Amino acid sequence: MSQFRIPGKGRVDHAETVSFSFDGKRYEGLRGDTVASALLAHGVHLMGRSFKYHRPRGPVTADSAEPNALIGTSRGAGEKEGRFEPNTRATVQELRQGLVAESQNRLGSLSFDLGAVNDALHPLFPAGFYYKTFMWPRSFWDKLYEPVIRHAAGLGRAPSKVDPDSYASRYLHSDLLVVGAGPSGLMAALAAARAGVRVTLVDENPEMGGALLSDPGIEIEGRPAWDWLSGALAELNALGVRLMTRTTAIGYYHQNMIGLCEKLTDHLDEIPEGAPRERMWRVRATRVVLAQGALEKPLVFHGNDRPGVMLAGAAQSYLHRWGVRVGERAVIVTSHDSAWYAAFDLAEAGSKVVAIVDTRATPPEALVSEARARGIEVLAGHTVTGTKGRLRVASVTVNPVRGGTVGAARLLHCDCLLMSGGWTPSLHLFSHTKGSLQWDAESETFLPGRMTEECHIAGAGRGVWGYAEALADGAKAGADAATALGREAEAITPDVAHDRPGTGESHKELPTDRKSHRVRAFVDYQNDVTAKDLRLAVREGMRSIEHVKRYTTNGMATDQGKMSNMNGLMIAADAVGKPPPQVGLTTFRPPYTPTTFGAFAGYHRGATFEVTRATPIDGWAEENGAVYEPVSLWRRAWYFPIGGEDMEEAVARECRAMRASVGIFDASTLGKIEVMGPDAVEFMNRMYTNPWTKLAPGRCRYGVLLGEDGYIRDDGVIGRLSDDLFHVTTTTGGAARVLNMMEDYLQTEWPDLDVWLTSTTEQWATVALNGPRAREVLAPLVEGQDISAEAFPHMSVAECTVAGFKARLFRLSFTGELGFEINVPARHGRALWEALMEAGKPHGITPYGTETMHVLRAEKGFIIVGQDTDGTVTPQDAGLGWAIGKKKPDFVGKRGLARPDLVAEGRKQLVGLMTEDGAVKLEEGAQIVLDPEQPLPMKMVGHVTSSYHSATLGRSIAMALVEGGTERMGETVHVPMPDGVVRAKVTSTAFYDPDGDRLKL
Amino acid sequence: MTTQTHDFTVIEGGTAPVRVEDMAPVARFSLRLREAHRAAVGQALGFDLPQRVGDVARAKARAALCLGPDEWLIHAPEAEAEAIAAAGAGAYAEAPHSLVEISDREISYAITGPAARELLTIACPRDLDRLATGRAVRTVFDTAQVVLWRDGEDAFRLDVWRSFAPHVRALLDAGQAELSAGF
Repeated sequence: MSQFRIPGKGRVDHAETVSFSFDGKRYEGLRGDTVASALLAHGVHLMGRSFKYHRPRGPVTADSAEPNALIGTSRGAGEKEGRFEPNTRATVQELRQGLVAESQNRLGSLSFDLGAVNDALHPLFPAGFYYKTFMWPRSFWDKLYEPVIRHAAGLGRAPSKVDPDSYASRYLHSDLLVVGAGPSGLMAALAAARAGVRVTLVDENPEMGGALLSDPGIEIEGRPAWDWLSGALAELNALGVRLMTRTTAIGYYHQNMIGLCEKLTDHLDEIPEGAPRERMWRVRATRVVLAQGALEKPLVFHGNDRPGVMLAGAAQSYLHRWGVRVGERAVIVTSHDSAWYAAFDLAEAGSKVVAIVDTRATPPEALVSEARARGIEVLAGHTVTGTKGRLRVASVTVNPVRGGTVGAARLLHCDCLLMSGGWTPSLHLFSHTKGSLQWDAESETFLPGRMTEECHIAGAGRGVWGYAEALADGAKAGADAATALGREAEAITPDVAHDRPGTGESHKELPTDRKSHRVRAFVDYQNDVTAKDLRLAVREGMRSIEHVKRYTTNGMATDQGKMSNMNGLMIAADAVGKPPPQVGLTTFRPPYTPTTFGAFAGYHRGATFEVTRATPIDGWAEENGAVYEPVSLWRRAWYFPIGGEDMEEAVARECRAMRASVGIFDASTLGKIEVMGPDAVEFMNRMYTNPWTKLAPGRCRYGVLLGEDGYIRDDGVIGRLSDDLFHVTTTTGGAARVLNMMEDYLQTEWPDLDVWLTSTTEQWATVALNGPRAREVLAPLVEGQDISAEAFPHMSVAECTVAGFKARLFRLSFTGELGFEINVPARHGRALWEALMEAGKPHGITPYGTETMHVLRAEKGFIIVGQDTDGTVTPQDAGLGWAIGKKKPDFVGKRGLARPDLVAEGRKQLVGLMTEDGAVKLEEGAQIVLDPEQPLPMKMVGHVTSSYHSATLGRSIAMALVEGGTERMGETVHVPMPDGVVRAKVTSTAFYDPDGDRLKL
Repeated sequence: MTTQTHDFTVIEGGTAPVRVEDMAPVARFSLRLREAHRAAVGQALGFDLPQRVGDVARAKARAALCLGPDEWLIHAPEAEAEAIAAAGAGAYAEAPHSLVEISDREISYAITGPAARELLTIACPRDLDRLATGRAVRTVFDTAQVVLWRDGEDAFRLDVWRSFAPHVRALLDAGQAELSAGF
């Protein structure tokens, strides 16, 4: 075991070693280690290179705020491939057997990085350099600048394999959600749970306890901190509190909806069968307690990013949680009391504490005497002006500051430099709620202000410091929450011994005696932003912190400015010459920590990416080789190729077969609405353009539905089954929308009508049978209805039995041939289809798909709403003026149709187009012009809406919306295409059997 | 005559925390009417139709769930479908309403076992602790509209529109696999 691990110390299991590799070298750690703690135990601080300057970096934290120690992780090659993840924080990733870790952002090796040339060239890369440096010559941009910048940009490398893991999600309801299981969070949960509240307590760490895990010397209620902690957790468990570890509250949304991301398997040696990697929890909590604690700030000085320079609190955590000393010789530099305790603990553990450098002239006397008692040199009123050491800090230069003047330098040799610039309350989640922040002048920090959600904030998260106060504050928050939930609650304040309260002060960058151009004092480690960059941004005109942030990219990295925002603000405020609250604080946005795409996607990938609706006949289509197309959420059979047919061949065959004999089509996706009640006919009159009063039961009619604006919204055939009952059909994609629109009118405009709507889309399977032989196929299967031409003419509907199933039988046609649509209860759809296929065998019955259906209807000039209309087409435009009941007092869209622009001359109207060369098929969407010789830009007078090869007609046909189209019959128009202008004649849309003789069979 | 498939999930050893099963078809009707005719139509169908959304009235093997101020969902044994339709038709002249058979519009899954409630939380945003046994609600499961019945502490039923059912089932199977794996 390494010299930096203290035998038996910490919360790791010293009996179990875990083997892993870092940049190809094997290491042994302990169960419970993170990658960072395990490497530190081996004395390895260098864990990565910085983003812009490729400077060597080591961990500065021991938690999720880590900006530097980002690594790529995987489970190795072979069958475990596909589990590579970049930008994993080494301080968070727990060790597992066989973990493969690699450093990032290096060209060459980690210790010799060719990209570090950027560091020497740093004067070339000031803030906003990309706005300035690469502007000229313009021609260099595409070939040189952009490829180079793209190559250099980005953190880590993207995975190249498909992620084999699954991701889960759940909803959770809780009376109280407590975020953060440190002292305040634990007390809040205890107080509320004791009062009978249904509590959920979450923490991002593998174990609960927060700061207590790093301060075992505290005594609470007479027990050592860790004993008290296990007691508290046991009590919470017994009280039925849902305890969730490795679970990060990533976002706080409206009405106490909190997103939690729970990591389930990343810490496991082997992934159990069926285990998802992560789970997103969507929590709706009646009350929320935010007990997120505080984040320690770095100090800003020259060389503050060298490996071995670390937050004092992090060093204390490595010591107590993982039993790791971060160095042999430590220098502490601080502006807060807390780092003194870290120094004492480290000295206790056997490291040499060279000196405690405090920026304050007079640190608390008690701390100073304890340091002296331990033989630690105290340098009060000092600054740090630099560090040295190539890949690890080797020395630090400290100078006294008297009356604002930096005195003579003194060199202190060390192998770690532990800093503390004080603590910032973690306001991220509170900030998500858009709650206001208030500047607290005394502590020089922002604290939570007015709340917009039903939440409480406790402990260090609202500036409370010291265990006794934090515990009491948490208990009060929990009791307050319980009271708000109608419970009787008591805030019991536990006694604390050996507490470590403290205060400190905030700084901009530390005073220095170095020439300003030679100072590299980092504010944002992850984006390589220095104090000088911030001041430059202000000099160049940025005044708002939001502008400074974007110009310098300070706080814009994956850590969301956890380390850098407050230091950045203090420096920018100083440069602007205004107090910090007037310069403002940037907005924190979710997620709190980087979250995988998988966690957000959850189950929505692969087969469950999205609902795929299939009809009852879909299975037959699949077994018979159908090619599918998506139509809204449905998958529909597009065509049924035989042998090696391509789509064009298959569709031509299907079309010819249907027109020659009989074809069969699955129309089950059509929307169906049952309109029932004494006022059904009045409702229909008001909704649709057509008149319905005189439609006799047993008859059906093509109906057109408009919006109030007079434009076509939907269409379909509607059958009247009795005086009070209509069977309405809608387009496939319009089914839900039309029902909603009808319900909307019924409930808000005409609540007096006694009529009700029921969706029956999925109650019925619908099979369309078309072609001159359709009746011969169908008739033997029908009972209870004579379907002869005389007894059952075109546009009839009847309830009868087909193939033994209760059916609603329509005679109608969307193809121009004799046609029937048979509706049977959905479960019988496939059996009906198979019965018709069998009965049709002697006639060569041919199944056809949606493409053939589209061609067949286009040959007849029947429109498809949404293809030949686009929400700006009136019935008159579409040649459907005949469908308007002119005598009706009103219907939806009637007044819209009278608008001046809707009755004006020259509107775009739907016409047929026949290319002069019938072998040429126009492209759908192609633009139409009248004069192809006119100068560019040409005046476009319309566009092609539908275009097909018609096997029936032996040539191409098209439909188009053309200005004044109906007045242009016989004229030639022009369609400019990339390979030449196509000439086409304007015709009627009724290309085939214009008189409808074929329907009269 | 085709019927629905019944691929009952076989649970080895019977230790799975939750099971998901396709249910046999039932007769289903959507009933819509005005308050003035609630009593008359209810009587014709054999119920005192409940007024509170989520309440269920039961009469022998029939159940009527109040889904809205003017809307009820009726479940009954398949054999009673015609009798229900006829009873509605008989009452129509005096008490106009809309009674539409939707037996085939939906299919139902039974979700039972100690982890049944937990399984439903994978895609149902409701607080299921507050859905009392014997009640039912219209809600969503992922993006599908469903009616969720609570038949017992550990017993739920889900009515799903037919074409959405495979998606819902696939999600339930994924969730069941997680729960069986102890996650």
